[in-house]
Amino acid sequence: MSCAQVAVRKSATEPLLKLRARPLRLALVGNANVGKSVLFGRLTGQYAVVSNYPGTTVALTLGRALIGAEVCDVTDTPGVNAVEGVLSEDELVTRRILETGETDVVIQVADARNLRRGLMLTSQLAAFKLPMVLVLNMADEARTHGVHIDAAGLAASLGIPVVETVATEGRGVAALKDVLANAAVPNPRGDHAGDHAKWAHDMAVQFRRLQPRSAARVQERLSRMVREPATGLPILALVLYVMYLIVGVFGAQTLVGLIENGLFKQFINPAAAFLVNRFVPWAIVRDFLVGEYGLITMGLTYAIAIVLPVVATFFLVFGFLEDSGYIPRLAIFSDRIFRAMGLNGKAVLPMVLGLGCDTMATMTTRILGTPKERLIAVLLLALGIPCSAQLATIFGILGGISFAALMTLFGVVLAQMFLVGFLAARVLPGERSEFMMELPPIRLPHMRNVVYKTVLRVRWYLGEAVPLFLVGTALLFVLSRLGWLAAMTRGLEPLVQGLLGLPARTTEVFVMGFLRRDYGAAGLFRMARAGDLQPVQAVVALTVMTLFVPCVANFLMMVKEQGWKPALGILGVVTVIAIGTGAALNTVLHVLHVSF
Amino acid sequence: MSRSSPAQRLASIEPGTRGHIVRVARDHRDRADRLMALGVTPGASIHVLQQFPSVVFMCDQTELAVEPAVADAILVQIE
Repeated sequence: MSCAQVAVRKSATEPLLKLRARPLRLALVGNANVGKSVLFGRLTGQYAVVSNYPGTTVALTLGRALIGAEVCDVTDTPGVNAVEGVLSEDELVTRRILETGETDVVIQVADARNLRRGLMLTSQLAAFKLPMVLVLNMADEARTHGVHIDAAGLAASLGIPVVETVATEGRGVAALKDVLANAAVPNPRGDHAGDHAKWAHDMAVQFRRLQPRSAARVQERLSRMVREPATGLPILALVLYVMYLIVGVFGAQTLVGLIENGLFKQFINPAAAFLVNRFVPWAIVRDFLVGEYGLITMGLTYAIAIVLPVVATFFLVFGFLEDSGYIPRLAIFSDRIFRAMGLNGKAVLPMVLGLGCDTMATMTTRILGTPKERLIAVLLLALGIPCSAQLATIFGILGGISFAALMTLFGVVLAQMFLVGFLAARVLPGERSEFMMELPPIRLPHMRNVVYKTVLRVRWYLGEAVPLFLVGTALLFVLSRLGWLAAMTRGLEPLVQGLLGLPARTTEVFVMGFLRRDYGAAGLFRMARAGDLQPVQAVVALTVMTLFVPCVANFLMMVKEQGWKPALGILGVVTVIAIGTGAALNTVLHVLHVSF
Repeated sequence: MSRSSPAQRLASIEPGTRGHIVRVARDHRDRADRLMALGVTPGASIHVLQQFPSVVFMCDQTELAVEPAVADAILVQIE
């Protein structure tokens, strides 16, 4: 074992901090949603995305912290309910780091309110014989709920240091750093060996005092209102409506209008055209920069003017909802629906997350219980969930046409998801797992965390999406120059013009959509603005685009999570469904003479 | 309020009721293990909050939502 030097330590008196060949490795381990990532941020000064629901961290995050005079490597791990028995994919990630000797000291983070559950994990962690420290986080919330813990008594009994913290405020973090040197292998658990639950229960009874009190009246009432159908469903409708107002109206219309018409049409594009025409002597380069498929006139305008405002407003609202604890409660209503689709209510987390970014959400499917559930969830994400960038263009185009147009698109896409899920549940082998899920407390979000998360995600969008956007624009330019675009347009004519009833130019848009469907949709946005797209055509084209696989990055993530064969299978199935649905929708709308 | 009343299945208890978990049926091993990991073990206090569309209850200090089949496997001694 590579960590023998530490693991064989017999007593807490021997100093842990001493000259070492490599940095000391600390791992933050604990139940889901106890604040490991917040503590990670406090220790390392790095930000790991923090939310108020289990499953925000599904992979390891690494960072460095200065403890005393020593630089240590810190690992933030996905939350676990257990580290032995039947484990989910993300729990295995955590178990692996304990098994492989990749860590020298385990910092177990527990929710002070849930001492019993925390101790159950302590009991399992003790089996790895690694030096440990127990952190009782959210000590403030515990106190408001009337939970008092005898930390000193607990420490003496366990034989490891126990520290109470409020990580979001940084309280207790200094104390934690101080006691790290005393990290020790927990005491043997006496005669309860094997029965973690009984031992944890007895320990909790011994060291915890409960004062029945309901200090958090408002919290309780709110929690009840969002959970009960009679009030919860109207609240859900209200939340969606407010979200639509902020993202679909303020973001996609007001802000886009200001930035596109105000900034780009009046200043940036004319200025760029002027400068390029003046200083660039080669026509082809001029065309590449400011022509019809120009990098600035098309690529940058789409990315910054059309998509960015919506991505930013969406992540702001979304971050607020994430931290409020509202999103997991949607599982209560959706469990029955998801069960028909071979999933359970927990699947609401990756699905809602997909509205932010399908690629990230594909990774989050790890929190689901069985391989079959993960495959179905990945398929449905690829098929039906529009990401924020794409929502931008959907709201932008259809919001300008009519509410009925918007509802048609969402209706068709949701129905298609349900149908595909329903069939997949019956066709694919394997089982679904039963629905049992922890609901995080309802909290008023810290606006600082919400804003910080939004900034981080917008920066990520700019860093990851914009370059690809520009590559797509360049690709289109090259294809158009070589005459291939015209050839493809002719080749796909029966499909695009015949079957889907769309203008020939839409083919270009679909080429872009293959890279990222929101670019495709952004192309549609421009066509719609120019009046080249009838309302029915806009609805059909956007429906097809929404049902496509989201983007190259999402496809690669599918390959990473599921392997090549399932990923290619999903790509094929999704493409056929997208075009088939588009053709059917086009026919139905024409037969019924719908014009929106 | 009699102490001797028999244990009831969580799925059939009125919302608002409080009690203690006496047993988690082990006929479905996976289920019992997962429940245990969430803190649903004999001795834990329980407060039933809702039965539909999902069963929601407070177990110790954790709020949990489960499907009816799962709630059926949890036996509660009502206080």
